[in-house]
Amino acid sequence: MIIDFLQQIFNGLVVGSIYTLIALGLTTIFGILGIAHFAHGSVAMFGGYLVFFLISALGIGLLPSFVLAMMCGALLGVVLERVAYYPVRNAPPINSFIIALGLTLIIEKANLLAFGVDQVIIPTPFGRVFSVGGVTMPELRIYVLLTAAVLVGGMTLLIQRTWIGKAVRAVAQNRPAAVLMGINVNSVSMFVFALSSALGVAAGVLIGALFAVAPGVSEGLVVKGFAVLILGGLGSIPGAIVGGMVLGVTEAFSAAFISSGYKDVISFLLMIAVLLVRPEGLMRGKAQ
Amino acid sequence: MWRVLAIAVLVAAAIIFPLIVTVNYFLHLAILALIFVMVAQGANIIQGYTGYVSIAQGAFMGIGAYSSALLSMRLGLPVWVSMVVAPIITAVAAVVAGYPSLRVKGHYFAIVTLAMNMVVFIVLVNWISLTKGEPGLPSIPSPEPINLGFVEFAFEKRRPYYYLTLTMLLAVMTIVTLIVRSRIGQVLQAIRQNEVFAEAAGIACWKYKLFAFVFSASLAGLAGALYAHYMGFINPTPFSADASLNAILAVILGGSGTLTGPLVGGALTVLLPEVLRVAEVYRLIAYGLILILAVIFLPRGLVPAIASLAARLRRSKPEGGAA
Repeated sequence: MIIDFLQQIFNGLVVGSIYTLIALGLTTIFGILGIAHFAHGSVAMFGGYLVFFLISALGIGLLPSFVLAMMCGALLGVVLERVAYYPVRNAPPINSFIIALGLTLIIEKANLLAFGVDQVIIPTPFGRVFSVGGVTMPELRIYVLLTAAVLVGGMTLLIQRTWIGKAVRAVAQNRPAAVLMGINVNSVSMFVFALSSALGVAAGVLIGALFAVAPGVSEGLVVKGFAVLILGGLGSIPGAIVGGMVLGVTEAFSAAFISSGYKDVISFLLMIAVLLVRPEGLMRGKAQ
Repeated sequence: MWRVLAIAVLVAAAIIFPLIVTVNYFLHLAILALIFVMVAQGANIIQGYTGYVSIAQGAFMGIGAYSSALLSMRLGLPVWVSMVVAPIITAVAAVVAGYPSLRVKGHYFAIVTLAMNMVVFIVLVNWISLTKGEPGLPSIPSPEPINLGFVEFAFEKRRPYYYLTLTMLLAVMTIVTLIVRSRIGQVLQAIRQNEVFAEAAGIACWKYKLFAFVFSASLAGLAGALYAHYMGFINPTPFSADASLNAILAVILGGSGTLTGPLVGGALTVLLPEVLRVAEVYRLIAYGLILILAVIFLPRGLVPAIASLAARLRRSKPEGGAA
């Protein structure tokens, strides 16, 4: 029983770390621009497909493909911000939401056109399985957890310790004041989109390696991302980390001990409950 | 005066339509468009007039469709009765869903309703003993025929069903117009403009918001029931969050917070993907592009844009004549 328990915690943390990556992108974009970037899931899936393509068709190694895909993701993010979101920056929020839906359609179908309809699993050389005190830990899952941890750590450092990170936090806290202090809000929002999309792509690659990339995965993914945001509090980075872990573990437990068909229902009900009892999220969003 | 005339012409055109257009496929699309206009009109009440974006219309459509189908199949109720009961069941579900979720605003409300839609969808897929899951419910009965002596309406045929849907839609439009013009409608728009202010003016906003949410859901439920008995087969697919997003798009495209906007927007969201079918592969990409361009260049929606264009033309014409 205790082994089962630990096993599910491990599984939950692995999946939760991917949710955190998705949610980090969503939460920074939301914090800066107030946009519910619904197309984020499709961007992530694009990354998964791209890495599969780079590996299988061009024969590039796993790590270089990963880095290359994240760079492409950053570029894609900048393009999305400039072409689609920038024109509606002063319109009511619902307009940017509709833009996001349009983008979702376009990216989703472009993925379909470019990479086909088949589900795709990114090949990895990590086939070993460790057993730590009875808990089964496949090598791949450990690497997924580590990669996510490194990326989340890197992102946190970038936001907390660098000049541009300080600019991002300033815009999130008080946009007009940040403008008055001479911060270029335009370049901050492009930077945020680049960073978030690169993280989203990374999440897509991890999903592709762990499960599979397929058409239709992205919608569920982005809603999970929003669920994490609500659990953690909109716009809060520590919130996204805690929220991702809570969601992942809840899902793993409900799949293992209640019903795998209804695991998403349980995680959404958890989200709704948190929203109603603690609308500010589990982690009260301090200064990012 | 002009408005009455325009409405008369529109209704007359809608009545004549199936007599002129005999291609079954077009009639089929027209029925789907009428049904979806009903959903869009519901979404307009909560989204356009009250200013709360609900991403759950698809789920309510599903609840209406499944309850009407199951009532007529499992309990053997007459289809007419189950079509009346289905929106009521949907309304009850909406009270349960809306009472807690309307306490939050803005993006939070949108995301909660989206999650609710996914919950309903997952239940429809997984509660196999009731809904038969993914394969769906086959052979849902059509409404019982009505015999007026000189003419019989057999609703398993397309044309009578078209008229049934049209009648329902006209009734819905009338009710919606009455509501929007009434004190309730005024309060809803006050909530959209400034909820704190409305509350300070002594209005119990939550009652009105709940009414708008439940009413919009019951319209979606009615539309779902009409859909189920028209298609004769339902599975969970058409009731996913995609349907809710389509309803939002319909409101935005047509013009939110206007009575005629959802007519145009609802019809467009059904017809546009079909028209674009010529370029099958690029269809949804084009659809996405149109959406983005519409929001960037027509932020208030088609109907207000056309109306202001017409107004400008009318104003400039006499001037042009004088010069």
